Amino acid sequence: MNPLQLIPAADPLQVPWGWFQIFLTATFLFHLIAMNLMLGGTLINFFRHVRGQYPADLLEDTAHKIPFSVAFAVNFGVAPLLFLQVLHGQFIYTSSVLMASFWLLIMPLLIAAYGTSYFYSFNFRCLSNWHTVISGLIAILMLGVAFIFTCNLSLMLNPPAWTAYFERPEGLILNLSDPTLFPRFIHSVLGSIAVAGLGLALWHDWQARRGNSDSAQLIPADLRWFSGATMLNFAFGFWYFGSLPEGVRSASGFTGSLLIFFLLLGIATAILALIAAGTLRVRATAFWTLLTLTAMVLVRELVRSLLLNPWISTTEPAVTAFQYSPLFFFLLTLAGGLWLIWFIIRLVTSSTQADTKEARS
Amino acid sequence: MNYPIWQLDAFGGGFLIALIAVVHVFISHFAVGGGLFLVLMERKALAENSNAIMDYVRRHAKFFLILTMVFGAMTGVGIWLTISLLNPTATSHLIHTFVFAWAAEWVFFLAEIVSILFYYYTFDRLSPRRHMLLGWIYFGCAWMSLFLINGIIDYMLTPGAWLENRNFWSGFFNPTFWPALFFRTFLALMIAGLFGLLTSTWIKDREVRHTLVAYCGRWLLIPLALLILSALWYKAALPAAQQEMIFQTAPELKIFLFLFTWLSPVFVGLGLILAVVRPMAIQRPLALILLFCGFCYIGSFEFIREGGRRPYIIHNYLYSNSILKDDLATVQAQGVLNTARWVKNRTVTVDNQKDAGRELFNLLCLPCHSAGGPLNDIRPRVATFTPETMGSFLAAMGSTNPYMPPFPGNKQEQTILADYLTNNLTPPRSDTGLTAAIDTSAPLPFDPETATHVLLASTDRSMTMSSQPALSGIDLSFAPPTLQAQLIERSPSPSVIANNVTISYRILNHQPLLSGQLKGNGDGVYSAQLPGLNPARNPFSPHVIAELTATQDGQEIAQTTTRIRISTELGCRSCHGGSWSTTGAGLSRETATHILASHDRRSNTSLAEAHRTGTIITCSDCHKSSNQPGQPDTLNLSAAMHGFHAGFLAFDFESCNYCHASNFASASNTFDGLHAGLGLECGNCHGTISDHAASLLKHEAAQGKKMAVKRLNQLAGTGEVDQNEIVARTPWTMQPDCLNCHEDFAPPETMDGFNTWTTDSAGLFHNRTDEAGVLRCTSCHGPTHGIYPADSEGNGQAAVLQPLQYQGTPYPISADRGCAVCHTMDMEDEMHHPGSLANFRNRLD
Repeated sequence: MNPLQLIPAADPLQVPWGWFQIFLTATFLFHLIAMNLMLGGTLINFFRHVRGQYPADLLEDTAHKIPFSVAFAVNFGVAPLLFLQVLHGQFIYTSSVLMASFWLLIMPLLIAAYGTSYFYSFNFRCLSNWHTVISGLIAILMLGVAFIFTCNLSLMLNPPAWTAYFERPEGLILNLSDPTLFPRFIHSVLGSIAVAGLGLALWHDWQARRGNSDSAQLIPADLRWFSGATMLNFAFGFWYFGSLPEGVRSASGFTGSLLIFFLLLGIATAILALIAAGTLRVRATAFWTLLTLTAMVLVRELVRSLLLNPWISTTEPAVTAFQYSPLFFFLLTLAGGLWLIWFIIRLVTSSTQADTKEARS
Repeated sequence: MNYPIWQLDAFGGGFLIALIAVVHVFISHFAVGGGLFLVLMERKALAENSNAIMDYVRRHAKFFLILTMVFGAMTGVGIWLTISLLNPTATSHLIHTFVFAWAAEWVFFLAEIVSILFYYYTFDRLSPRRHMLLGWIYFGCAWMSLFLINGIIDYMLTPGAWLENRNFWSGFFNPTFWPALFFRTFLALMIAGLFGLLTSTWIKDREVRHTLVAYCGRWLLIPLALLILSALWYKAALPAAQQEMIFQTAPELKIFLFLFTWLSPVFVGLGLILAVVRPMAIQRPLALILLFCGFCYIGSFEFIREGGRRPYIIHNYLYSNSILKDDLATVQAQGVLNTARWVKNRTVTVDNQKDAGRELFNLLCLPCHSAGGPLNDIRPRVATFTPETMGSFLAAMGSTNPYMPPFPGNKQEQTILADYLTNNLTPPRSDTGLTAAIDTSAPLPFDPETATHVLLASTDRSMTMSSQPALSGIDLSFAPPTLQAQLIERSPSPSVIANNVTISYRILNHQPLLSGQLKGNGDGVYSAQLPGLNPARNPFSPHVIAELTATQDGQEIAQTTTRIRISTELGCRSCHGGSWSTTGAGLSRETATHILASHDRRSNTSLAEAHRTGTIITCSDCHKSSNQPGQPDTLNLSAAMHGFHAGFLAFDFESCNYCHASNFASASNTFDGLHAGLGLECGNCHGTISDHAASLLKHEAAQGKKMAVKRLNQLAGTGEVDQNEIVARTPWTMQPDCLNCHEDFAPPETMDGFNTWTTDSAGLFHNRTDEAGVLRCTSCHGPTHGIYPADSEGNGQAAVLQPLQYQGTPYPISADRGCAVCHTMDMEDEMHHPGSLANFRNRLD
């Protein structure tokens, strides 16, 4: 069966494609950071529990942050999934149905992970020797979610694999035979450890700058997580790249050139980030890492574009009259929302000693 | 039909979405109302300078945070994932149409998260003013997310002007947007009160607990009153189609309407009790019960709202099977298997028919039904059908059952799906049709040389039916057959004997033995009604033979036999299920129970229970029959039966045979006369089931009966004749006139006898006489549906006993210039009707 005939017709867009591509890329970057902090932070805490050498109060400090990271990782995941559905709905809906049983499993896994993370945070001091088990459980649940996402986002790019539906229509297809699946997944997990290590370093750096000198001593350990995971990720990154179809690896033309450019940029900035981490310059590490992440997000979009190119040309959304007023409404809401968040943060951070005293009185 | 179908089977039928959606909406409404609850409760604590209340606010905030963030937010994502799996077409449409509303909602979610996290973690850090401001910001953002999702949800129910202009704002601010927004806002406040009651009953301090329980009770009751008002507004804003679907048409919604209506006083009652009683041991269970009631309340509402969209998922735009309304005709023309993308069996052969049936089932049934699951299980619904009636049901979908979409496939797909549903998805029905015993009756002797009289007899109709009330427990109020006879004194100028003669009858093959006398009308027509006829079951003998004897002055002067058919072979079981009666020869109690349960479900009656306790349910107690007046406001029985069932049957000539034993496939074929032999079908005279029903309903509609108007609307466009052109008629007396086709008794030039009716019962075939005004049509031609030469195949000679007796041929009496049967000589004038001296046209050989 020709997979081309399976690809659903796309629905019309409300405004030109580029708008959604910008929103998708930008919001995914935020999701990636939040998700990395969530997964990587949990994994690091778990490994630290396993090794048993890290101070308990510092582990507790991280434990308190995990529920926040879950909340923001999920929230920041909503927007890119929304824009992905707008641009590539005919692919993502299809792959989701093919692996529906697993895709829906995301919800209970997330509830379990999020709920357990609150349990881990609120009851940290009462858990005695259960910290390793609890944090390990959270990590496994999160890894499960991550693996399902990786499966789906690779399956959506692989229409020839869709014909398996006719043998297994119960939503149990995981795309395990896709050569990109495991390198992509490991690449993402290692990336999350690196970013979370950097996040912890940034946190401790911020605390140190506020006068907590003990925190400064924690930074080298944090950055070791970053450096180790990043160096390993070079290997897995190349594996991942090598697993991509030849047509993507050797793509020419504008898209192919952009891909090579951003890939090289990502590698270069990652090397610079490693150098900065080696000299314990946390903010510089963060700057180069942010550039790496941005470059890699763009690489990801370009790879997707190249992979879908043979299929997408025939399934482009119908062109209809665009309607811009809802876009303006969203942009206004976004601006208002960001201002409101800034206002909330100001409201809290500008709180004075007198406020605290009044609150406790 | 763009996307693959997740073959869920047992967990289909909306089970997943119901489970996740109800949990989510319950918690998400709490997330909105609970925000205001927190901030106002905090203000109360500050105003009363109460540390106890402030402690409660802290604890409640923690409960609120975990519940709304962990379960509320995650099930929100879960709903999104679920709808995209269950109906990707609709989800894609909603995402593409309202992408910026969803995106804006995401912004408010983000602000919600930031504000509630700060709110919870800064109780002891911020001044009360700043802290409460955070609470207000949270509530404002939460309410805005409700505002945004409300527009999208209600768009699905009432798309309004969007259908014409495709404008985002028309769809968003749709006809039910504002009432729904108020409704949901009050619902959110009420649910906040319910959760407040739950947590406040856990306060150990008796006085504080009592104070806060009373306070939370106000949160329950005041919004409830406003909610009821907004619900009335919501209802009034619904367009007529959605109102009718919710409040009248969809039987499955009744339980939810009932729950939604009667839980309101439960809230009031339990709320007041909770405010009065003080022991914690009573308050806590009551609060939990109230919370559960709230869960049922919102669940009922969501079921009702979603049910109102039927048969669409986006009203008047996209059917629940993911077919656009505008594409329906194209899909019907090209076929589902040729149109859907995710189909393997585009060409159907004997080898892949079952697989193709499964694919059709996946595409067309699974979007709404489960297979063996707790919700909308299709198996019990189809298990009662035969493949033929299932196919007929599919063909008529969407008319009398407007909550179902029209069948989008072609005729072949209809058959394939019907076969899959009734033979594969469910076990094939084991018992099949009845087999009739061959009647061995022979005609009586007649000696034209010596016979002084000719006795001609027939029943008024040959299609008399019986539901065997004593056995089945249901009296479908069919009129019993009437035996009619005319006695002719033979001579060159024969005369009909009207007086001084006795004509008696004896039913030969019937237990108990029935006999009696026919009563003369003074004009030479003798008749007797024959109630209580029951055909034998073993072997099944769907007709009996009546032997009639004419005596004069104690002297037997003529004798004849005629067939009386009393069909108990009612087709009800073909759709309603059940086996044939084992004691009778037709409708079983099991089938009758199913019929009555269906009636109860649709018409709010309680007939099944009465039936169970032994009462015989008589249809004509309410529905006027040919001999009972019924109730003035209800449809007459014929209009009710045909008007309702027409919507479940294919609109073709075959449909009649599913209920009536009116073709050669049935054991008691009650339409085996000449017309059947010539290939005519019921519809040639009576029209298709839709047109037939419309003629009856129009009469009832003219009497001001609303149900008739409703049924006519449901059947509009389904017949072969424009409904406006159909002439209204009363049943039993206004029937197709034989002369519609046999104009001036000439050979017919048309085979369409529909839509011109006899003006009254005098024009009916069994009451009409020849042009001499002497002989009834039935005397020479036999009963209406069994006119000579009726088919004798399989029934021996029983169908034509009299023609064989008097003239040795199966043709009408005196056919082929057989005038001598009565006249004792050949005649020259066609005194009975034109053409009566011609040779009979339709020879059996």
